Amino acid sequence: MKTSTAYRVLGLLFGAGFGFVLAAANLHEYDTIHNMLRLEEFDVFLLMGAAIGTSLPLLWWLEKRKTKTALADTLTLSRSKPTRQHVVGGALFGIGWAVSGTCPAPALVMLVSGAGLAVITIVGLFLGLNLRDRQVARLAGTATAADGEHRNLARVS
Amino acid sequence: MLSTTFAALLPDRLPWYLAGPALGLLVVGFFLVTNQPLGASGAYVETYKTVTRKPGAASWRMFYFIGIPIGGFVGVMLKDDGFVRRAGYDALRNELPLGVTALIVLVGAVVMGYGARMAGGCTSGHGICGTAQRSPASWVATCTFMGAAVLMTLFIRIVSGGAI
Repeated sequence: MKTSTAYRVLGLLFGAGFGFVLAAANLHEYDTIHNMLRLEEFDVFLLMGAAIGTSLPLLWWLEKRKTKTALADTLTLSRSKPTRQHVVGGALFGIGWAVSGTCPAPALVMLVSGAGLAVITIVGLFLGLNLRDRQVARLAGTATAADGEHRNLARVS
Repeated sequence: MLSTTFAALLPDRLPWYLAGPALGLLVVGFFLVTNQPLGASGAYVETYKTVTRKPGAASWRMFYFIGIPIGGFVGVMLKDDGFVRRAGYDALRNELPLGVTALIVLVGAVVMGYGARMAGGCTSGHGICGTAQRSPASWVATCTFMGAAVLMTLFIRIVSGGAI
C-alpha cells in the first residue's frame, strides 16, 4: 500500500475511533459541555485528565526509548514556548466554546446525532478558522506555533 | 431498524475512566504509526485546503475529519436514544427564538474557530495531544481556554438571570 493511502485509511480509522468515543461519552451534547463549564459536573474534566494521564507517560516513555514509528521516523514530540497568541487565541477559543457548547470534533458528532443546528456550528468554525488563516497570510511572517496540529516532518528533518 | 436491533449496546454515557484512557490510547496509537498528533481544528483547515486544492494540503487529515462523524454515528446508534432529528441547543431555545439561537451559535463558532487557529489547536490538539507531549505552549493554551470558558459560562448565567 502506498504511504499516502495508508495515511488516509489510518486517518479515517482513528477519526472513527475518536468520534465513537466522543459519542459514547456524550461529549457531543450541549448539556454535557454546558454543565461541565457551569462547574456542576466534573466528568469531562476527569475524562480529559484521564486522557492526558494515559497518553503523557506513554509518549514520554516511547520518546525516551527512541521508538521507531511504523510509517514515519523516530517518534518525536514537539514542545513550543508559550506566546501571546496561545493566550489570546486560547481565550477566544474558550469564549466561543462556552457560547456554542461544543468544540470542533464533537460538533461533527452533534450533527450526526440529529441536531440540525450543528450545521451552523460547523460552518461558523470553518469561517473562523479561515478568517484567521487569511489574516495571517496578510500579515505574512507571523506563523502560529501548533504543537497539536499537523507537522510537515519531511521539511522539519 | 438498526436502532432497534442494536440499541442500548452502549450505556447512556460511557464513564470518564473508560472514555478518557480510550482517547489517550488513540492519541498514543496514532503517534506510534504516523508520528503525528490528532488535532480536530487542524483537520478542518486541511479539509478546506484539500477541497479548494491548495498546494501542500495534508489531504489525509480530511479523512480524519470524515472519520469522526462516521464513528460518532455508530456510537450514537448503539445507544438507547439513537439518532433523533431535532434542532439541538434545547437550553438556548427554551429561552430564545430559533433565529436568535442560530445567530448566537454562529457567532460563538466563528470566535471559537478564529481562536483555535490563532492558538494553533483546540480541545483535542492542545488539550490532549499537546499537553500529552508536555508542550508548555499547549498547557498555557489549555489552561487559558478552560478558564475563559468557565468565566464566559458564568457571564452567560448572570446575563440570562440563571436561565442558561
